[in-house]
Amino acid sequence: MRNYFELLDQFISTDFKLRYKNSYLGILWIILKPLASFAVIYIIWTNLFPQSPDFKMSLLLGIMIMNLFSESIMMGMTSLSTKAGIILKVRFPREVSVFSAVTISLFDFAINMIIFTAFAIWNPIDISFIGIILFILSIFSIYFITTGISLFLSIMFIRLRDLNNLVSVVLQLFFWMTPVYYKIEMLPENLQKIISLNPMTHIVTLARRGLLGASNIATDDFWQIGIVFVLSLIVFGIGVLFFKKRVYKIAEYF
Amino acid sequence: MEQKPVIEVKDVSKSFYLPHERHDTLVEYLTNPIRLFRRNGEMYQVLKDIDLKVYPGEFLGIMGRNGCGKSTLLKIIAGIYAPTTGKIIINGSVAPFLELGVGFNQELSGRENVFLNGIILGMNKKKIRQKYDEIVQFAELEKFMEMPLKNYSSGMKVRLAFSIAIMTDAEIYILDEVLSVGDIAFQKKCDGVFAKFKKDKKTVILVTHSADAVKKLCTRAVFLKDGIMHDYHDLNKVVEAYING
Repeated sequence: MRNYFELLDQFISTDFKLRYKNSYLGILWIILKPLASFAVIYIIWTNLFPQSPDFKMSLLLGIMIMNLFSESIMMGMTSLSTKAGIILKVRFPREVSVFSAVTISLFDFAINMIIFTAFAIWNPIDISFIGIILFILSIFSIYFITTGISLFLSIMFIRLRDLNNLVSVVLQLFFWMTPVYYKIEMLPENLQKIISLNPMTHIVTLARRGLLGASNIATDDFWQIGIVFVLSLIVFGIGVLFFKKRVYKIAEYF
Repeated sequence: MEQKPVIEVKDVSKSFYLPHERHDTLVEYLTNPIRLFRRNGEMYQVLKDIDLKVYPGEFLGIMGRNGCGKSTLLKIIAGIYAPTTGKIIINGSVAPFLELGVGFNQELSGRENVFLNGIILGMNKKKIRQKYDEIVQFAELEKFMEMPLKNYSSGMKVRLAFSIAIMTDAEIYILDEVLSVGDIAFQKKCDGVFAKFKKDKKTVILVTHSADAVKKLCTRAVFLKDGIMHDYHDLNKVVEAYING
């Protein structure tokens, strides 16, 4: 039998190690990117309008979650083509390269959560055991959704080498269409409807409630996250089926 | 020989699509959507009805000119390409060496690369740890294992790669022109490895341009020309056919 999990582990640790090997700031880049966009939006927004006291932590968490979402998809999409050299020479379960790319983004997010915790020391948050479970379920929903999407996009990317441009524009759109730096109630009603069609809206809202508003958690939130989680598993399943069906021909198109 | 073949290639054909123009960007498809349906290109048949049975313990040599389909055949046997028509049946574990040192990374140290390459080849970590000293010794690189691979000479890299490769414990080895590595002393060691493969009844398929290697190592050879396989049932005839093109 193949050494499936050792292969996954090896890909993750090698790629993680290599990513910042030749850069001076190294692993710092992982936290600098979301922190920079946090700083910009925070400074502009607090100067434009008075914000509620929980705005800072809510914005920081929102940006970190959206960063997880877009990084997972961008890295997952290119994962097959960056492994082309190996794929053309050895037979191994191809999906491992996609899983490893998305998992690395999850690790990056975990590192970002350390920064979030550091912020939380000076800006007390409302947290509980149940809240953490709600939060973790939201993050795993993102993990399965992005893996499913990446499995699909990684195959498409082999054929359409400029797909990354389109995808990064769409991801940008998702960032603005998710209530990260604004509250959904601020929008006109018809816009609210559109925004609430975006699954990320619900995921970000629930994850925030888990870490920042744990005393307000209702059973309804768990129903909601349950539905989101099941949907994310469906997206994942469709991704796997598409991938399995198409991947055997992929070596010819590199 | 009434044994069950370890590799059975049944009527395998392989065609590749040769585009006359390059279209692989979204913009190109969107500016001219007809291209999605009517593609400008032709099919090129690389392999034509290949039938081949390889039995346990055989050393099969495949000879042929560049571009005759040798590597495509190996890739199909190794499971990297899917055949257009036909079927491949494999009974046993396969170690494909279409290239040595697959996945080697220049930035990582020799030691890290041993584990990376070994795991990609399907070994498990525990086994690599057990065999690590043996690998280093065989490659004669004891002093250099903590150095990044980019500082290795090409000979050193190949020696390291070959040493990892021979530690894989498979029943079938597929080698694509990976024999001529290292200096004479290292070559001798490699010969020792092949003698051991023979003793252990391993099955080996090798593609080579060296008539000597075929005569020295192979128990059987076939000649590929323009995608058609010729089996002369005689090593010397195959070599002769190869030399005469």
